[in-house]
Amino acid sequence: MSAPEPRHRPPPRSSLDAVLEEEELGRAIDRALLARLWRWVRPYKGRLLFTLLLAYPLWAMQVAPSWIVMTGLDREIVPGLQQRGLIAEAPPPRDTVGELEWLDALLTPPAGVPVLWWFGLLMVIGYLIAASLEYIQTLVMVSTGQAAMRSLRREVFAHIQKLHLGFFDNYPVGRLVTRATSDVEHLAEMFSAGLVLLVTDLLRMVGFAALLFWLDARLAFWAFVIVPPLSLALVIFRFKVREAFRASRVLLARLNATIQESITGMKVVQLFSREARNQRAFSTLNGAHRDAWLRSIWYDSALFSVVDVATGLITALVIAQAVGSVSVGMIFFFLRAMTLFFMPLRDLSQKYSVMQSAMASLERILQLLDTAPAIRDPAPAPAPTVQVVGVPAAALRGQKTGEMRRPSGEIEFQDVWFAYPGDDFVLRGVSFRIASGEKVAVVGATGAGKTTLINLLARFHEVTKGRILLDGVDIREMPQELLHRRIGLVLQDVFLFSGTVEDNLTLGRSDLRHESVLAAARAVALDGFIERLPEGFATEIRERGANFSTGQKQLLSFARALTHGGDVLVLDEATSAIDPETEALVQDGIYVLTQSRTSLVIAHRLSTIRDMDRIHVLHHGRVVETGDHQALLRQDGLYARLHRLQNKAPEGIVTGHA
Amino acid sequence: MTEASDFVQDRATIAEGRRRMFRLLVPYLLRNRRDYLVGVVVTIVYALFFALFPKTVQWAMEALVEGEGARAVLWSCALIAGVALLRSFFRFFSRVRIFNAAREIEFQLRDDLFAHLQRLPQSFYFTRRTGDLMSRCVNDLTTIRLMLGVGLLQLAQTPVMIVVALTMMTIMDPVLTFWMVLPLPIFILIARSLGPPMHASNLAVQVGLADMSNYLQENVTGVAVVRAYAMEAVSKRRFDALSQQLYERWMRAVRVQAGLPALAGLLPNIGVLLLFVIGGSKLIAGELGIGEFFAFFLFNAELTMPLFLIGWMFNLVQRGTASMQRVEEVLATEPTIADRKDVLDVRELRGEIEFRNLSFQYPATGAQRPAALRDVTFRVPAGSVVGVVGPVGAGKTTLASLIPRLYEVDDGMVRLDGHDVNRLPLATLRRAIAMVPQDSFLFSLSLADNIAYGLPATEMNAVRRAAARAGLDRDLAELADGFATPVGERGVKLSGGQRQRAALARALILDPKVLILDDTLSAVDAETEAAIQRELRQVFEGRTVVMVASRVSAVRAADLIVVLDEGRVVERGVHEQLIAAGGLYARLARDQEAERERAQRVVAGGRE
Repeated sequence: MSAPEPRHRPPPRSSLDAVLEEEELGRAIDRALLARLWRWVRPYKGRLLFTLLLAYPLWAMQVAPSWIVMTGLDREIVPGLQQRGLIAEAPPPRDTVGELEWLDALLTPPAGVPVLWWFGLLMVIGYLIAASLEYIQTLVMVSTGQAAMRSLRREVFAHIQKLHLGFFDNYPVGRLVTRATSDVEHLAEMFSAGLVLLVTDLLRMVGFAALLFWLDARLAFWAFVIVPPLSLALVIFRFKVREAFRASRVLLARLNATIQESITGMKVVQLFSREARNQRAFSTLNGAHRDAWLRSIWYDSALFSVVDVATGLITALVIAQAVGSVSVGMIFFFLRAMTLFFMPLRDLSQKYSVMQSAMASLERILQLLDTAPAIRDPAPAPAPTVQVVGVPAAALRGQKTGEMRRPSGEIEFQDVWFAYPGDDFVLRGVSFRIASGEKVAVVGATGAGKTTLINLLARFHEVTKGRILLDGVDIREMPQELLHRRIGLVLQDVFLFSGTVEDNLTLGRSDLRHESVLAAARAVALDGFIERLPEGFATEIRERGANFSTGQKQLLSFARALTHGGDVLVLDEATSAIDPETEALVQDGIYVLTQSRTSLVIAHRLSTIRDMDRIHVLHHGRVVETGDHQALLRQDGLYARLHRLQNKAPEGIVTGHA
Repeated sequence: MTEASDFVQDRATIAEGRRRMFRLLVPYLLRNRRDYLVGVVVTIVYALFFALFPKTVQWAMEALVEGEGARAVLWSCALIAGVALLRSFFRFFSRVRIFNAAREIEFQLRDDLFAHLQRLPQSFYFTRRTGDLMSRCVNDLTTIRLMLGVGLLQLAQTPVMIVVALTMMTIMDPVLTFWMVLPLPIFILIARSLGPPMHASNLAVQVGLADMSNYLQENVTGVAVVRAYAMEAVSKRRFDALSQQLYERWMRAVRVQAGLPALAGLLPNIGVLLLFVIGGSKLIAGELGIGEFFAFFLFNAELTMPLFLIGWMFNLVQRGTASMQRVEEVLATEPTIADRKDVLDVRELRGEIEFRNLSFQYPATGAQRPAALRDVTFRVPAGSVVGVVGPVGAGKTTLASLIPRLYEVDDGMVRLDGHDVNRLPLATLRRAIAMVPQDSFLFSLSLADNIAYGLPATEMNAVRRAAARAGLDRDLAELADGFATPVGERGVKLSGGQRQRAALARALILDPKVLILDDTLSAVDAETEAAIQRELRQVFEGRTVVMVASRVSAVRAADLIVVLDEGRVVERGVHEQLIAAGGLYARLARDQEAERERAQRVVAGGRE
């Protein structure tokens, strides 16, 4: 029996590399990438602008309480204390509120209301406005991000559906899933916690600087004097943290991969007594992982402390410079404002990493979207571009308009050559014709190119040279959907989707009635089994069909092909051994399937082969022998040899011994 | 996490679990006691400086407003800067010390956990999913590290910060302190009431994402079917619906979460309001100094964070405890497969195998399963070939796995050279036996390193010989880097047949006395199988061979054939005897023959 052919040999590339690739982080803001993201964001640009415009009113409301306290101190409290000699006399403070008439009016309590209570009330109102604005800002920001991400997700999925099958050989499933889920989530996080906040933070910092310099330029100078060296220190430490963090993450990924592999292969580890060596290797890796984190901890803690020191130093500087010239209220306001000024810097690193991983995710998503589908439908040109001799004109017209008008189901391989990219030719000039209704088998050793034939006929891959005709029309000239509707394909590995048994037969096509599903199940003698299931056709399929035997799964896939009709059957027979009783059922199923249909079967079973009209023996990508079973046996060539091997192989295994 | 509920049943169990957990943790804490001791002391000093900072600002402001002169103000400002510097230094130092210690414990625990996992019998792995064990080695250790790192740090410093700060505030003005503390319980109540809806909406988003992942995973794995049956439009509709559902769940979650920033600002804002209205009146009344007003203000701003952290801290400890119990559960599992005290001093084995009244049952996995083997008795003389056949589930693989002691059996049931397998040194046992398991698992190493897996070092000559004997040499041309090609989960995907041949080479390289082949060549094509069989005839010379096979014909020429059915030996003998006996073996052989004959009939045109 033949082993499943490797569909494609990917270049040796470990999935750990993939892990590392996922960890690669670049710039936090990449203008070219963002420009491309704009496509999905543009419909929501109004909302985005709105959230940005909210930044200043929100900032004003957050500054308001401190401003009120400053005014209260300088206008209402300190002068009284000075008059009573409780505190030292000082030059009269700058009456900033007096300079702004509307503010002055606002801060003058109505008659009979104590001034502190009035100020308190204003503070409450200010907080309520700020809270509402912040709520609205967050809500709009996140909903914008999620709405944009919804369209992006749909586009990613639609794109995945267009990619040719060869693509999936080299792109692990997990990574594709990550593109449409985690990567998109990272990007969404950029909206809720990254880009917009980064911009609004910047706006606020500018706002604080302007306000403080307007209030008291000298004091502001002293307050800001350590900001440049501080920023430098922050940048350096942040860079170091990032480097250390990245190294740690890479080692963590490696550690996880090692643990997983060790657990999965523990039986082999123990059988071959590798415990001690594995422990040493693991310990080394584990230690490297720890050490990488120790570096991260050092820089991360340093970063924390730098900001901490800065606030303390600024407090000292402001008070020291205030002697004799600055009012108490102003000092209060400066201290408060500088704390608020530093607030964004404290979690800047967090936003930075959000942006960084968003950019990395965006880049990966765009890379996927940039992968052009290698196999496309023909442009919907109405006139037939190829004239093939001997094709019923009606059939040709039928295909061009997308209808099936009595197609005959004739298949022809014309000098088909195929090589997977960067590899040797798998098929080397294969030519044969399957007349309408004929049953043809292809046999050959592993690697002969059998499965490739099917992949080319279903247009999962594109022929490198030559062409494949269905009813005289090059399959590249017809829409893939039409091609696929005409071909009933039964693959070697039966794939069951989650959902009910019936869902797995109709595959979501709502135009298929239950009667036709039932008829198909009956035809392959599966109806009895299905009806014995707890909920019959409505029984849920668990874990890719764990509740079905291999044989039953094969019968299900036969029923699936029958349900969907099509005038051509393409069957890649399963190699796995099943018990004789089910084997008989499967053979009957194949018999039913191949009736009254053009059939191309990759055969492994003797009984299947003998039932065929013709057999092509494929060897190293060429058809080397053709004929029916008896004729091929008489020929005593490759087929005869394969046949002998298949029948006698298991017997000789323990001869000549003891 | 689901596992935790299995064994945390009632309060007594929880208490017992905690006790066990602390017993487990104490040695690790003791081993790192210097770091922890220094870290905790320094972090308490940090907490004191943290509480001192507002006082230094108070003194500076007093010097300023009471007109003590520029010099006095300058000195007190220098004090502010000095305290700020020391505060940051202590914070940095204690963080690094304690976090490092936590990382060290994580490292030690992971090392020990891994070592323990390597010692556990296969029956342990039989009942666990890989994902669950992974999660214990990765996620649970992370949670424990957080508990022992940031959790412990906060536990040491936060109470000190709060107590010292509140004491200082009370000394300055008890009434104002009372008013400023008052909103705290109300705030905690609000924050708590937000917890459950937030958790629920977050969970809904996570479930939505998981649904989407599952759908994608399925759609991509079954991409050939999707294409072959032109399901693209249906798939797109389903995905769009999932995408819409996720969007709606996000929106529901955001409506709750968007309130968080405002809520975070609530407490300090209420503080400022109370300080201004109440403290302001006290200022006017002369009951409160300007300096004290500033100190209160700073306490208000700086205490918000520690107060927030208290809830988080308890949560960390709770999660850490649960994780610790899950890790402890693994570590508490006795490694039953180890050299026993009454181990025999046997260095070499000839390879005689004997089963005596062997019964075996897999550990319970929820549903009660019947015994895998019942009362199996037979003897395989050294150097002979025994075939084990029977239907699926008859216990063939189990029987084979008991010879190298992958599972624990009762004393005396399995014997090698007459010695109880339980009393043989593991090193001797495993050196003498090489097994080719059914699933032919390969590691993410080069092909050569995989073949030489059981050797102390990779010797290329031995690798080449073993590969040739296993019929792997012909595949080398297909592999880009030959023997250096990385294989396994993280390498090149080999075909099923290539994997089996590599696993066979891995066993042959050890030159074992006992060779166990568990349905070894099922995925190898006919031509290759024949070639390997020719090679194997020489390989079998001088070894005891146990061949497990589902096909009767594969064991036809064995010296002894044992037929298993539902865990019992139902027949034994050589091929001709068994055929003549007309039992299960004959029936299995007949079924295979029948299949062939049926095929003939189909060709003849007569369908049944």
